[in-house]
Amino acid sequence: MRFSHVCSTGRGCTSLSLFFDISLFQLTMLMMAPLIIACLGETIIERSGILNVGIEGVVTLGSVTGFLLTYYSGSAIIGCIVAALSGSVLTLLLAYFSITLRANQIVIGLGIFVLGLGISPTIYRLAVGVVQSIPQVPTLKELQIPLLGSIPFIGEIFFAQNGLVYLSYFLVAAVSYFLFKTPLGLRLRACGENPRAADTVGIDVARMRYGACVVGGLFLGVAGAYLPLVISGSFTDNIVNGRGWLALMLVIFGRWVPVWSFVGALLFAYVDAFQFKVNALPQYAKLIPPQFLLMLPYVFAMIVLVQVARGAESPRALTRPYDREARD
Amino acid sequence: MTAKHVPCVEMYGVSKSFGEVRALDAVDFEAAKGEIHALLGENGAGKTTLMNILSGLYRLDEGQIVVDRREVDIHSPQDAIAVGVGMVHQHVELIGNFTALENILLGREGSRWRLDVDAQRASVEELAANYGLSIPLDEQVKTLPAGIQQKVEILKALYHGADILILDEPTTMLTPHEVDGLFSILKSFATGGLTVVFITHKIQEVLDNCDRITVFRGGRKIDTIPREEATRDRLVQMMMGERGMPPVGERPTGPSAAREGDPALSVRGVRTSAKSGVPLTDVAFDVPRGLIVGMAGISGNGQKELAEALAGLIEIEEGEVHLGGEEVSALSVAGRIARGMSLLPQDRIEEGILPGLSLAENFVLGLHPHIFKRRGVFEREAAHELGRNAIAEFNILARNEHVPAAHLSGGNIQKTIVARAVMLAHRTGGKAMIANNPTRGLDVMAASFVHGRLRELRAGGAGVLLISEDLDELCQMSDRIVVIYAGEILGAFDGPEYDIYQIGALMAGQKEGEVS
Repeated sequence: MRFSHVCSTGRGCTSLSLFFDISLFQLTMLMMAPLIIACLGETIIERSGILNVGIEGVVTLGSVTGFLLTYYSGSAIIGCIVAALSGSVLTLLLAYFSITLRANQIVIGLGIFVLGLGISPTIYRLAVGVVQSIPQVPTLKELQIPLLGSIPFIGEIFFAQNGLVYLSYFLVAAVSYFLFKTPLGLRLRACGENPRAADTVGIDVARMRYGACVVGGLFLGVAGAYLPLVISGSFTDNIVNGRGWLALMLVIFGRWVPVWSFVGALLFAYVDAFQFKVNALPQYAKLIPPQFLLMLPYVFAMIVLVQVARGAESPRALTRPYDREARD
Repeated sequence: MTAKHVPCVEMYGVSKSFGEVRALDAVDFEAAKGEIHALLGENGAGKTTLMNILSGLYRLDEGQIVVDRREVDIHSPQDAIAVGVGMVHQHVELIGNFTALENILLGREGSRWRLDVDAQRASVEELAANYGLSIPLDEQVKTLPAGIQQKVEILKALYHGADILILDEPTTMLTPHEVDGLFSILKSFATGGLTVVFITHKIQEVLDNCDRITVFRGGRKIDTIPREEATRDRLVQMMMGERGMPPVGERPTGPSAAREGDPALSVRGVRTSAKSGVPLTDVAFDVPRGLIVGMAGISGNGQKELAEALAGLIEIEEGEVHLGGEEVSALSVAGRIARGMSLLPQDRIEEGILPGLSLAENFVLGLHPHIFKRRGVFEREAAHELGRNAIAEFNILARNEHVPAAHLSGGNIQKTIVARAVMLAHRTGGKAMIANNPTRGLDVMAASFVHGRLRELRAGGAGVLLISEDLDELCQMSDRIVVIYAGEILGAFDGPEYDIYQIGALMAGQKEGEVS
């Protein structure tokens, strides 16, 4: 497993290096990637005015399809592509119910959540059956980027990672550019703020929202595939373990701006990596009580809530179905 | 005049139904190039529906649309833009978090892959200059006053290539000065060859500003007449038909009608926090017993906050509210109701009724301590009896007291809310009534009903605070008018006669004594 060398280095057991260790930062980047990829997908969907509370279920489906296809085809790329498509199929279902049928998005989203969570282990068991040893795929290798990767410290942290981490950097930049620097991004945001205003200038609101769901679903699927392909090498029922919900919170934490969500994802991944490191090295457990570490995710959730209370402004038409002929 | 009209838009036999309601019934309409054409009618007469069809928001059920002598099929706003139709909606359809420039460019950004608002800035500025519209392009729209937002929407329509410009009730959010400014701009548009269609229910605006007038009533077109043939009486007759205008209520008599004793409502130095909306600063005025005090102001200047602060819905940070001489600002909503205060909320659907519950249940709300003999028990029979009586007494159009409130028309919903407030006032000795835009969106008959009830309360010795955005209504109803601007009272005028331009200047934020 990829984590092993965190423990094996064993260098510098001083308290400072506990917090500032290259391997810790590397692990942080590794944990950050699935969070931010899912978060970007959700941001695109929410910016169009649709709230996808089924995100955890979609990510779970992505992890099972990603894992199985990689396992059978031997290619992680095929695994990721199929995971992306499967995520898209599930968000398309959300789109159909919330855009075409104008159903309550929270209800549909919870339905998608339960569906994704239930169908994924079923697919896994149908495909794998009952076996003695659980199937494993090799986890993705680091690809060191020439030049950048040889910069001491910075290069080791950011540019000696697996391909999907690089993809996550690229997506942060790409989604930011798309939302704020392209005409299509302006239109998408318009649909999430005031669909009628968008409609009256000739923007097809339903099409934009469908598009956002489909594209956002691709992201969520890849985020799911990341977990078996990079972190565990195998599929377990609760593999996602709340990361989908976390991504949903990160969207709010970042106030629907990708760069700020990225900061949030880094913070959280750091906490996560730290927790992992301390658990792996018993001598640290004395320094930091495990209860403190267990508390950290909830502290983070509180920060998000404070943010909400202070009026983090969501897209104004979020969760509101649009009906052109509705009379008000 | 008719001879030189070149028809620009023609609509034939247009019908449209919403569920069982036939909103338009085989309507013909025609507007010419270079004219200002008014669509006059009551609320619900079908004029907005017809224009929503022309601008692509609604699909027509039957009928035909011809633009520039070519038959067109308008399925969506996109189709309407393509044939040059642009509409400025009553509640402007802009995106508050975008800048004015982004709003104008939206949908026609000028490039496909890169959003470069600055590249388009010059052409927008030139267009604005040509049409005499001055707009701060880089401000967020939500920070702009209503009059400027409207100009942004007009410029947006022009930028999207509109040569047929439709404005839906464009004057409701404007001060009298701004109204004059708007019409002078519209006249220059018409002279420049644009077709301007404007929707209104105000006869005076039509007489002052239009070339031709088409009158609607009950989803049908009555007639189109040139301005020269129009008189106030004829237009009233066309708008109202056989029913005629409802009897004009007694005119206000002015502050001299005030009764002796403590004022019904006395507001002293009230401040509220910005957390609950527009902050009120040092709001102070009296509503004496036996008077209607009108509150003028453009929507969003603290009227809603004031009404809610008086009713006890939002907290008062500083200052006092006296109800019939008794300080009540520390009391709960229920405590104030029990002492004789009642509120007609601004948004009748959102705040006034329980849409899914029956009429009887809606009537009981707030009245329950007076209706039910046993505390804590819903006495079905008593509630139904109350409902039956109220429906009969207040002439509410409903099958019976069991129908859900949401099934009623807007006018009947408002009657329900007024009926409840009046019944409550009778039982609590009704000292003060706060009516926040009680006639908005109502037809003339329903509005006249509401006015009648308010006058009855006044005659009974209660004090009425009438908050309205409609200056004509205020002038016709109020014994005194106070003006609110940005959460502050800028001045007061004693009736019964008023100078609307003076009031309008305060509504726009000019303090008394300043030269306009």
